[in-house]
Amino acid sequence: MDLLAVAAWFAVAIVVMVVAFLAVATYNDVVALGQRVDKAWGNIDVALKQRHDQLPALVDAVRGVLAFERNTLTEVTRLRAAYSPTDPIADQAATSEATTAAVKSLLAVVEAYPQIQSSANVLDLQDEIERLENVIADRRELYNDQVYRYNTTIAQVPAIVLAKLLGWKEREFFLAQPVERRPPEARLETS
Amino acid sequence: MPSPADLLPFAAAGLVAGLALLWRGLAGHRTAARIGGTATSRIATLAAGEVRISGTIEPAEVTLVSALQSTPAVYYRSRVSGRLGGDADELLDEERAVGFVVTDGSGSIRVFPRGATFDVPWRYAEHDDWAGSTPPGLSPRTGPGYAAARPDRDAQVAALLTVRERGDADDLAALLGGDAFGTGRLGGWGGLTLDGESGGRNRRRRYEEARLEPGDTVTILGRAVPFGTLDDPAHADLAEMTHLGAHVEADIAADIAEARAAGLLAPDAETAWGNAAIPGFGIGRPVSEPDLDPRAGVLPLATEDEAAAAERTFSIPPEALVLVASSEVPLLVAAGVPGTATERQQSRFHLGLLGAALAIGSAVVLALGLGATLG
Repeated sequence: MDLLAVAAWFAVAIVVMVVAFLAVATYNDVVALGQRVDKAWGNIDVALKQRHDQLPALVDAVRGVLAFERNTLTEVTRLRAAYSPTDPIADQAATSEATTAAVKSLLAVVEAYPQIQSSANVLDLQDEIERLENVIADRRELYNDQVYRYNTTIAQVPAIVLAKLLGWKEREFFLAQPVERRPPEARLETS
Repeated sequence: MPSPADLLPFAAAGLVAGLALLWRGLAGHRTAARIGGTATSRIATLAAGEVRISGTIEPAEVTLVSALQSTPAVYYRSRVSGRLGGDADELLDEERAVGFVVTDGSGSIRVFPRGATFDVPWRYAEHDDWAGSTPPGLSPRTGPGYAAARPDRDAQVAALLTVRERGDADDLAALLGGDAFGTGRLGGWGGLTLDGESGGRNRRRRYEEARLEPGDTVTILGRAVPFGTLDDPAHADLAEMTHLGAHVEADIAADIAEARAAGLLAPDAETAWGNAAIPGFGIGRPVSEPDLDPRAGVLPLATEDEAAAAERTFSIPPEALVLVASSEVPLLVAAGVPGTATERQQSRFHLGLLGAALAIGSAVVLALGLGATLG
């Protein structure tokens, strides 16, 4: 066999190997990115669930003293009940942001009552809720960053070719709709 | 002009080198995708599972002392290679890591480096000059390979006043050169002996050292797990790339399991390690009275504050997340911020593509050369 032909076949094999590697690697990368988006969402969901479980305890602990702060307590309770892990992501983001705002209002009101502040139970609950709010904020940021990486990758060459072939769609950011991003109303009614 | 036959050795070398560069480049592409495809988590709100973090290195209990520049480090790879005539020898290739802490402003996390892959560029790369003199900056380790992360002043004074004989078993300076040229012995991985003929001054050596030091920025991809789930934290805390082989590791694990089942293992750290289980013992001031030979000097005990700090350093709550390597998620420790680490890997990939071109060109030259030689 002609040695030059062997060299030519070798060159073709190298090029095919590199192209095949890039195709397989790109497919695997996008699949891994998708898995990371799902995992990041799962981590938000865990934190939202934990907050959902903790809120009744806080509301119960302060209900007696804050009986006349009915609006604040009602708002927290209403938004807690609105939590639904099966809702679309945008709806969950809106509910989560509104709940965060309501919880901040409640904590601001609690600050104004030294008799509540002195209760170790309330302080513990307050710390735990504040910790969960931080966790939710950080994980939302992480999720959005991961979604950004996924969406950018499938919109770029070479993944865009595979995206068209395999029907990969952009993922949704965890963001509330602009209309629902009003600043929270703090109802600081005092006696 | 050289004939095609004369180029055969170069073409063969080019082919091998090109394929090696391509292989390394493809691996770099995978690593770059892994780093670039994972968002950075804040340590304070880290979730268990595969994560990427970026922050500053802080030492845990101890640091290593690097082999060639005697610098405190949590990881180093030191390499000394010599060339005599056309032959190159690897005289020393030592790679070690010890557990460390990474902080990112929101919190800190302990990293157990066993099984990790390190991507750290050379920080020191020099060679002997033509007269055979060692390069500036070379300061081989003289003394132990470990140091306390927060050195005790009295211990430092004592170490400074200790006179060490050249040629001590762990004295790397004596092993590498000085009076021991030609007769020194390189311990460690190779166990190579520098005999008078091959290790003499006419050998021109190249010295390279990569390090991660306290204060360096690092990017880590790995698996965050609760500390309590680690089978053997002491084992995970040290990484010495000795390449024992899977069957040796499996044998050791089987021996430990057998001893545990037979009740031969001590029930707690105090029983097993004695004084060594006391925080601060041996690398600072012990927090409680050690059991010493009456003839030994009495050790000063730690103050209340020092004891509290030592207890904090040595105890990790079981639920605290730590970073480890696992079979599903390899631990990657890369120097620099994520962007720098990704760029370094992408450069490798681009170099790999050039390697592919080199391999193809070399194959053509090889074919022409072989054709001319074989007629």
